[in-house]
Amino acid sequence: MFEWPVISQILWTSLATTSFYVLFTAAFALVLKVNRFFNFAQGGVMTAAFYTAYAAVQMAHLPGWAAFGLALLVSALLSTIIELFGFATLRAKHASVLFGFIFTLMIAQFVAYTAALLFGTWTVTIFPSMFYPVTLVGGVAVSGWDVPAIGSAIGCLTVLFGFLRFAPWGQSMLAVADNPDLAGLYGIKTKWAYLMAMLIAGALVTVGMFLYGSRAQVQPMTSFDLMLFAVVATILGGIGSIGGAAVAAVMLGLVQNASILVIPSQWQGFLVYAVLFVAIVFFPRGVRLPERRARADATRQAPSNTSEQEG
Amino acid sequence: MTYLLVLLILVGLYIILASSFDLVIGHAGLISIAHPAFFAIGAYASGLLALDLGWPPLVAIPVATLLAAASSVLVSLPALRVSGDYLMIASLGFQLGLIELIKNLQFSGGSGGLSNIPPLVKGNVSPLTYAGLVLVSAAVVVWLIRRIMRSDYGRAVTALRDDETAAAMLGRDPIWIKVWVIALASGIAGYAGALYAHYFRFVTPEQFDILQSAALLTMVVVGGIRTTWGPIIGALLLETVPQLITYLNLPPNILGPAQGLLFTTLVLAFMFFRPSGLVSGSAAWRGSEPLEVVNVRRS
Repeated sequence: MFEWPVISQILWTSLATTSFYVLFTAAFALVLKVNRFFNFAQGGVMTAAFYTAYAAVQMAHLPGWAAFGLALLVSALLSTIIELFGFATLRAKHASVLFGFIFTLMIAQFVAYTAALLFGTWTVTIFPSMFYPVTLVGGVAVSGWDVPAIGSAIGCLTVLFGFLRFAPWGQSMLAVADNPDLAGLYGIKTKWAYLMAMLIAGALVTVGMFLYGSRAQVQPMTSFDLMLFAVVATILGGIGSIGGAAVAAVMLGLVQNASILVIPSQWQGFLVYAVLFVAIVFFPRGVRLPERRARADATRQAPSNTSEQEG
Repeated sequence: MTYLLVLLILVGLYIILASSFDLVIGHAGLISIAHPAFFAIGAYASGLLALDLGWPPLVAIPVATLLAAASSVLVSLPALRVSGDYLMIASLGFQLGLIELIKNLQFSGGSGGLSNIPPLVKGNVSPLTYAGLVLVSAAVVVWLIRRIMRSDYGRAVTALRDDETAAAMLGRDPIWIKVWVIALASGIAGYAGALYAHYFRFVTPEQFDILQSAALLTMVVVGGIRTTWGPIIGALLLETVPQLITYLNLPPNILGPAQGLLFTTLVLAFMFFRPSGLVSGSAAWRGSEPLEVVNVRRS
């Protein structure tokens, strides 16, 4: 079982599988960092994006690119509604974590029930076939889905980090994440920053759901499980660090998939929650590398810097 | 008539669950959402003790209650180290991990659930009798929580919620208080689980998932957090109103989602139009206010 071809195949498959998980995690971490909400409503956006693409392809017989465009539009609309009518109100009322949790969960459920009412509760996929041509590369089976999926994830994350680091709007978002009141005093439109974070997150999960829905079957409640993986990875990566969350998502995906070598596959789900529980109890600030911890300590000691300016 | 009595049993069970949940999240201010996990532990423990070991349910129920209370240390542990968002997520991890565990263990029936759980006494108890038992239990639980919260211990719980440091300086042991309040609420949830298992005689892991947490939270918040009547009204309203739709005789594939839509719409409407709940206690759902607001009010 521990022969190199087996291990390399599992590693490759794990890497391909983590492509959509990374996108869901980056979206969740971005909203948590900027908007400061544990956005379980992301599950609703994911459900809406998937079923839009499904309806466009399977019912309206539109091409894949048009379905993707429609899914992007719907997720942008839903994200805007959640931010403008939900989060903005909760923020204005200084709602507690608990209240935000109920709100976001209710939105996700509302969308899931709507999807169940419109499309039924059985599992569906975006395209009629989930089978992709397989090519052997150095003894590793690479499917026609793998490379575009990994490429899409890397492309999206590169654009995201580039935007946050170099674009003025991206920097404004980080400023709002750091201190919204101070950012407002400097003339940054905080409402736009919050909305922008939601729109970017919506776009990321749309790409993620398009990838997931073209490879696996989905039913209205599927996004809950996918979301929970993103929550675990965000906590492991350290709240406030989108890069850390993305790396944690890759690592967690690899560990979860590679665990099949040592534990039965049905325990893979349990592994994720066990890791979450242990991580919170023993590493509530996330798992940090020694260099990063040292840098964070130095940052804390400097009175002028209040938090990391990391994307 | 049986339908109404079953509904009454469910309302009674949810009153027990919501009231005990309010003890943790409302009165103690500990944002743990894993309450359905203890409901599950009570249901499965009592069911398995009666089914596999042949224990009389009347013995299995108190043992399951104690087991749920004892297992609450798994939520107390993170509660002693983290609070707020972290505790919420840790409790979520505990709950979902437990569900996965139940799904994968053979003796618990796996994801197919545990069936043929023995009834409370030999020969089925009538729905009327069981509804009476559950409602009396609910009344006792509500009375007990109310009495506790008005005792010295309850005042200590309140003090701890409002200012942990100040409460500790006054000689209160925060660790002991947190452990006990979570154990008490978890034991009550376990008792509700055991009652559920011996009436419905079938439990599945999905019944105790994150959506159950959301439902319980909603009952507390919509009813009115940190109040005696709030969780009662919340449980009554949110268990009965979605049932009204059953009278429309919709096909099953539409009925479930339609009930879910009604439930979520009701909750969202309450959240925005009556956020303090039907029974207004305090603005307990509020988080921290900006410093300027606090300063202005104090001056």
